[in-house]
Amino acid sequence: MIDSIKMPAYLQELFAYRSVFYQLVRQYLVLRYRRTVLGFVWTLVNPLLMLSVTALVFSTIFKLDLATYSTYLFAGMVPWTFFSTSTTQACGSLISNEGLIKKIYLPKIIFPLSVCVGNLFDSLLSFVALFILIAVFGSTISWALLFIPIAFILIFLFTLGFSLALSTLTVYFRDVQYVVGILLQAVFFLTPIIYKRDGLSGWAADLVALNPLLHFIDLFRLPLYQGVLPHASTILAAVSMSLLSLGVGALVFVKHEKKIVFRL
Amino acid sequence: MANIRTEELAVKFRIYHDHSPSLKDAVVSFFRSSKKASHSDFWAVNKVSLHIKAGERVGIVGRNGAGKSTFLKALCRIYEPSSGTIKVTGHIAPLLEIGAGFHPEFTGRENIHLNGAILGFRPEQLSVIESEIISFAELQEFIDTPVKYYSTGMYLRLAFSIATAVEPEILILDEMFAGGDAGFVLKATARMKKVVEAASIMILVSHDVDLLASICNRVIWLEKGEVLHDGPALEVLALYKAFSASLAAA
Repeated sequence: MIDSIKMPAYLQELFAYRSVFYQLVRQYLVLRYRRTVLGFVWTLVNPLLMLSVTALVFSTIFKLDLATYSTYLFAGMVPWTFFSTSTTQACGSLISNEGLIKKIYLPKIIFPLSVCVGNLFDSLLSFVALFILIAVFGSTISWALLFIPIAFILIFLFTLGFSLALSTLTVYFRDVQYVVGILLQAVFFLTPIIYKRDGLSGWAADLVALNPLLHFIDLFRLPLYQGVLPHASTILAAVSMSLLSLGVGALVFVKHEKKIVFRL
Repeated sequence: MANIRTEELAVKFRIYHDHSPSLKDAVVSFFRSSKKASHSDFWAVNKVSLHIKAGERVGIVGRNGAGKSTFLKALCRIYEPSSGTIKVTGHIAPLLEIGAGFHPEFTGRENIHLNGAILGFRPEQLSVIESEIISFAELQEFIDTPVKYYSTGMYLRLAFSIATAVEPEILILDEMFAGGDAGFVLKATARMKKVVEAASIMILVSHDVDLLASICNRVIWLEKGEVLHDGPALEVLALYKAFSASLAAA
């Protein structure tokens, strides 16, 4: 379906509908904290509190230095939260806009895409907030940090692929959204976010080694926690995972895009 | 020049007999060798070939379930044709259902921008017509209140004012819409007339024979997804009226 002739027309149409896309992202970002006292500040406070609680609990359990552990945890939490929140919300992005899809023609890709972009904004903001906190704690600040934008781009593409496929799948099988919730919980434990990978051995280590998210976590963790650039092999793995995910996701989406309206 | 041409246009719906298939059903039926049909196909629009030229005011009549709305939605690209083709030249504006894109938590003003974007306005166009929409809807006081607190009348007035701010080449209407108090209905009718006159092609679905007779110059009568009659408004409407009367008598 996606051949070199159709691609430009597809993107052109998407560009023509950019103001609808902008409105959807805005809707996502603005509505959440409307009528709360702190408003948009919650976007910053929420991850800060989350991280503080987790850091406090696990640094005690693992008997680790709080400041060092916070940096470690933070570097893993940012990409994880982006991935898990986006994919969870993307599942429902088409079915929750049934009213719109059935009444007016819109390129349907804007629904899952706006979820991912909205979450990316959130993720960038909480990154900044947490980063300031971590910097105060006195962690390593190095030139390697300049890699972080690339890390964000790669995890975004990876997540977008999953989101496109899952949003389509949920239209056909509503069960998917619940299955995704459970799977994400399992993947969370299979990803070295709160624990260190070198503490694992045996089958658990083998299983974790298969986890594609591992590479993306490293993209963030090495510059932030160790102050070094990720290895070329990690970058290569992340790039290929992103392209694979995006390719499969886009293929699934474009193939079913026009049939979705009949199944809502 | 605005122009619509359909060739053998057909839209198929799949009707599931019990419920929509769940993941479990898909897995079960994958392993089951004898496949029992769990659905049947329904052709809501069946082999419709039409040519609508600039200047035409087309009315569409037919009984409930005749495929009128599905036909309009296919023209608006909401439903992909199952077979056949549609060729549309000119900017289409669907006024299918009023307030379709409203978000209840958004204020009136935010909804103007959201809906405006959906209807194809550019942001700079919107900022120009924003105040015109607000004053036509008579909502100056409440425009920064979330629309979920609006009365039905206020809601309809805002939705109508946004929808009719478009001046499309091809106007597509599903049933006449106008709401609010008597004064607003009068204003709305006048505005509607202006939009209809500005459009190069208008297609209107309605059950109101007198309304169709007054604004249409061509009427298409759909029955079971197919074109039963197509011709000058008064001729087809006379046939349709006689048919409806015979149904009522029986």
